[in-house]
Amino acid sequence: MAAPFPHLHVSSAYSMRYGTAFPEALVGRALEHGMDILALTDRDGLYGAVKHAHACAEAGIAPVLGVDLALAVPASAFTPVPGMRPPRPRTAPKQEDRVTVLARGRGWSRLARLVTAAHHAGERGAPQVTRELVGEWAGAADPRGFGADDGLVVLLGPRSDVGRAVAERRDEHARTLLGLWRAAVPGVVVELVDQYGFRDATTAVRMLGLAESMGVPAVLTNAVRYLDPADHQVGDVLDAARQLVPLHPRHLDRTTSHAYLKGGKEMAQVAAKVCAGDGERVARLLATTRRLAEACAMNPLDLLALRNSPPALHLPEVGGDPVPMLRGRVEDGLARRGLGRSAEARRRLADEMAIIERKRLSGYFIAVAGITDMIRGMGIRCAVRGSGAGSLVNYLIGIGEVNPLDHGLLMERFLSEGRVGLPDIDVDVESARRLDCYRAIFDRYGESQVACVSMMETYRARSAIRDVAGAMGLPPHEIDAIAKAFPHIRARQITASLHDLPELRESRLGEAGLDRVFRLAERLDGLPRHIALHPCGVLVGNAGLRDRTPVERSLLEFPMSQFDKDDVEEAGLLKLDVLGVRMQSAMAYALSEIERVDGVVVELDRQSGDGSDARPEVQYVPHDDQDTYDMICASRTLGCFQIESPGQRELVAKLEPRKIHDLIVDISLFRPGPVNSDMVTPYLEARHGWRKPYYPHERLREALKETHGVVVFHEQVLKIISVMTGRDLSFAEKLRRTLDTPEGRDRVRRTFVPLARANGFDDAAVERAWKVLDAFGAFGFCKAHAAAFALPTYQSAWLKRHHAAAFFAGVLTHEPGMYPPRVIIDEARQCGVKILPLDINKSGRHWQVERLGPRVRVRVRPSELGPAADPRRRADDFRISEIGKGYALRVPFSAIKGVSEAEVDRMVAGQPYTSMADFWDRARPSRPTLERIVQVGGLDALHDLHPGGPRWRPGELTRRDLVARVGELDRASAAGVRTGPRRSRHHGPRAAGPPPGTAAVQLPLGFSEHLPPGELPEMTETEMVEAELEILGIDVSRHVISFYDELLDELGVVRSKDLLRRRNGQEILVAGVKVATQTPAVRSGQRVIFTTLDDSTGPIDLTFFESVQGRCASTVFGSWLLLAKGVVRRTGTRAVSLRAVDCWNLADLAALRRSRGIEEVRALVARTPEESEAVGGRAIEYANGFRLSPYADLGPAVTTPPGRLWHASPGSSGPTAA
Amino acid sequence: MSRLYGDPIEVWTRDGEPAQFVWRDRLYLVRRVLDSWVVAREWWKTGEGDPGERRFWRVEASPGREVGSYELRYDTAGNGWLLMRAWD
Repeated sequence: MAAPFPHLHVSSAYSMRYGTAFPEALVGRALEHGMDILALTDRDGLYGAVKHAHACAEAGIAPVLGVDLALAVPASAFTPVPGMRPPRPRTAPKQEDRVTVLARGRGWSRLARLVTAAHHAGERGAPQVTRELVGEWAGAADPRGFGADDGLVVLLGPRSDVGRAVAERRDEHARTLLGLWRAAVPGVVVELVDQYGFRDATTAVRMLGLAESMGVPAVLTNAVRYLDPADHQVGDVLDAARQLVPLHPRHLDRTTSHAYLKGGKEMAQVAAKVCAGDGERVARLLATTRRLAEACAMNPLDLLALRNSPPALHLPEVGGDPVPMLRGRVEDGLARRGLGRSAEARRRLADEMAIIERKRLSGYFIAVAGITDMIRGMGIRCAVRGSGAGSLVNYLIGIGEVNPLDHGLLMERFLSEGRVGLPDIDVDVESARRLDCYRAIFDRYGESQVACVSMMETYRARSAIRDVAGAMGLPPHEIDAIAKAFPHIRARQITASLHDLPELRESRLGEAGLDRVFRLAERLDGLPRHIALHPCGVLVGNAGLRDRTPVERSLLEFPMSQFDKDDVEEAGLLKLDVLGVRMQSAMAYALSEIERVDGVVVELDRQSGDGSDARPEVQYVPHDDQDTYDMICASRTLGCFQIESPGQRELVAKLEPRKIHDLIVDISLFRPGPVNSDMVTPYLEARHGWRKPYYPHERLREALKETHGVVVFHEQVLKIISVMTGRDLSFAEKLRRTLDTPEGRDRVRRTFVPLARANGFDDAAVERAWKVLDAFGAFGFCKAHAAAFALPTYQSAWLKRHHAAAFFAGVLTHEPGMYPPRVIIDEARQCGVKILPLDINKSGRHWQVERLGPRVRVRVRPSELGPAADPRRRADDFRISEIGKGYALRVPFSAIKGVSEAEVDRMVAGQPYTSMADFWDRARPSRPTLERIVQVGGLDALHDLHPGGPRWRPGELTRRDLVARVGELDRASAAGVRTGPRRSRHHGPRAAGPPPGTAAVQLPLGFSEHLPPGELPEMTETEMVEAELEILGIDVSRHVISFYDELLDELGVVRSKDLLRRRNGQEILVAGVKVATQTPAVRSGQRVIFTTLDDSTGPIDLTFFESVQGRCASTVFGSWLLLAKGVVRRTGTRAVSLRAVDCWNLADLAALRRSRGIEEVRALVARTPEESEAVGGRAIEYANGFRLSPYADLGPAVTTPPGRLWHASPGSSGPTAA
Repeated sequence: MSRLYGDPIEVWTRDGEPAQFVWRDRLYLVRRVLDSWVVAREWWKTGEGDPGERRFWRVEASPGREVGSYELRYDTAGNGWLLMRAWD
């Protein structure tokens, strides 16, 4: 029985935009064919290597790893002649020459290093090798013919330089090349491929002849790209997309469909064809192929370090023995944190250190602490996030500022015996300075010891449609329109969504004859498109890092591992996540503004001082400031971290947090699971005292009393299991992780129940406890995560309450939240902050605070002073419009549409200016920029303009006059060649002669006419706001909705500030500017659209259920100004939202009123709508009955274009700008 | 020198390869297969359904005594054979 055929040249989907099948699928097919060895040789990198090894290990197949690399084109003797067109770039199949390199059984590190070297030769993203480079890494020679067993073997196939020479019938040249290869690399092999293409067989036959004549071994492969023959269509599309050409045979790599994973019998047929039926040659060919495969087969555990026992970790270099180093640091930490005498702390510390040392992770903690110290030393805000907050060691060595003992956080969620896998420490830093952190890490540790992590961008619906439609030759604007019509769904949902979503049904895209495009686009689902830098992962290692993982250059030139975050862990590499969080940048900016404007230093991370601070004005931020909680309970949290969305605003209004712990619970509850398994209602009812808390057993009271008997945190699940079974928390953590699936829950039950019984609990109690675990065990939230998040949430709310203007300045500069600038501006206005227009003499680069009068002292009321008033009354008394009084925000230069950074630099540097001409001369803005500045009033103060009001003002200078003069200045300076700064003859200081250093230039005489003021009309208010919206994206002078006041009053529209006075169930009209649309997951499995409108008196939250989406969805997604009819829904004492019944585009209604009168509008609005088809699609059903619409928010969205005027969640269709 | 024909012919195959064919009322016996290859159709241009592929054989065949080379084509979509070229 012959040994099964081994495929040695296989490209998976990780050959980006070339391969079509994932490694797991290929391994599965090989298994079906009875194969026992399978290679993976992706193009340009080892992106799929770990996944291939993993799949092979699972299937019991031996993996072979290799790479398919391009050969460097020898320097061309062709020098371009001026006037002659350079030769067109070659498209397949005449593209670059390629060779395949396989690693011998122990040759992985050489392979990784070769790939790294290939990516560092030549340009980024275009790796290439030369013979010499391969020879450098190939290893020693070996008499058995394939090189040393830790070396590399090169396969020279039809795409190689040798193969091309053979195909072109240049036999002598082919012999020379093959000889050169043999001299450079000990293990060289000729690769024969016959995919039944036009010249394939002849070339293969000749290559076999060449190999035999020169005594080089020959092997047979099938250069696999697909799983099945039918996949060749996907391959063709990828070829076209990759080369940005339309589909045409001359651009395609192959014109046959034979590049699939063929079985042994089919390969034998190919062998027979190539060897012209000569049985002996066939046997020899197949035997050599087999011999090479066996020489290259590797043990998957060599790569999958984590699966070894013990795991073969790659440890960071910390300049010494890490164990005593860490022990020393934690001792110091105990003293520094004031815990030296705490027995509880010492016990906990001993437990954690025992596990850390047993797993040999001391070096990891030392390395990470070194990094966070360094970051803080650079003045950058840095906070721990996630389960790492639960570790006392992290707190002691200064990685995080959350004391786990304060919040009852468990280390087992982060690091425990039973947890396979490595701990992951995540830190949040200021987003604006994240790259500075990266550079500092690379500078300190050296490029050879650290690397970033990569991730694959895959095809989703919009990108798949774009590539396929482009390949089919559709015109670009049509492609754009089609792609944007879809929400950010997965590619495989395209045809379903055409039928299911009302807004797509209306678009009639399904009837446009595009089904072929859509069907193909669906097949691109999930295929990797290109590699990207993972936004936060950093690998910390030692000098042997590049023996474990290949590293390429990323866009920012940081070295990037080709492994993604999962591969990195499997390979035993330790990783730190440095996340750039915009809220941290926003808060840092706010702090700097507070210091600049008021001279106050806010120690945001410290609750109190120790009296030794000599600075005159220092404020600390205690975690119990009731003023802040008043604001939160009044749900005025727009702009704050985590709690600004409409759903969160409703929840905080109902939950009424009064301490940090309440915020921790709020954050943990606000997720689809708890919201829809109904954990929220029992919690709220118990919290407000309307129902008694339920404890399954008295002994569980300790664990559950902090949440009134409701299971909210993972930590509580662990405690329940531990108490009931009597086992430790490590064991409990293992069980908890199994509760995710129904089968898992069965397994846990079978373990839990007997243990609990044996531990002395009666059957009824065990049953009750199990019921709780069954229902909620899978939905808990890690309390450490929530605790880490609660801190910046509170800090942002504190800043908003006490330093509103500075806070908004930070939020506007760094845009951390979901709402675009105009919404933040409107909130600032409602908080009493004035908005000052652009002024060339006062504006800065970014949003800045201006104080309008003397400082208001004593902004923070210490919480001990005075009796604590009833919290409810405090919240009712809260007046949002007071918090920002006395301060203003100035529109900055950077808000101007299309302005460049260099222009902004000049404009700021040249302040103050005496006139527009002075500004033009010294700041040198471009003409469009200056025109825009004039249009939004940047020169109003300087030239004393007062727009708005009457249009015609004879004798008065108007903005339009100034715009005209811009043109004149532009013409004056454009005429004549200059070498120095512009000098206008009519304005600016009269110089005695030409300024020194400038060439003498003739100025054209009589060229700039002086425009008498009052010739052109002034801008009306409407025109002012239109210009502001267009140029700044913000309506500064007047809220846009105010232009519709008359219409709204005539229709009897209710304003936001009056909503709370309406009765539950009342049907009313509301109107406003659209601020956000969201389609979050909801319990029933329907798609629900949440929309928030803003009418200048406050927010209005609308809910569109599926029954009304048929007629409303397009309007909701497509319009900016909306009028809606809805039913009032009171959800709490201070929370109200509307169930929408119908909606209209307000601008259309205004037009209707102008043309036909108000009665027509009233009639339209009063109509009773007919039923229309709802949203389709099969709901995704979870085991506990929780159903999810397939169109609910899934996955990260593609970046939205700048200049957006409202927030649209990924499930929203339509354009993202007005 | 070859001439292009494109005449429909009838072919008998053995083991997937042409063994004999009738062209212009003469029976040719295939002596040996010189080369064979496949070209996939331009599927993006055709309508619904699998556009299939075209299989080509270059064979040495003779109707009697003179041996010549002929190129045969089989279209999987139409299930038909054509004689494309002949060399004298």
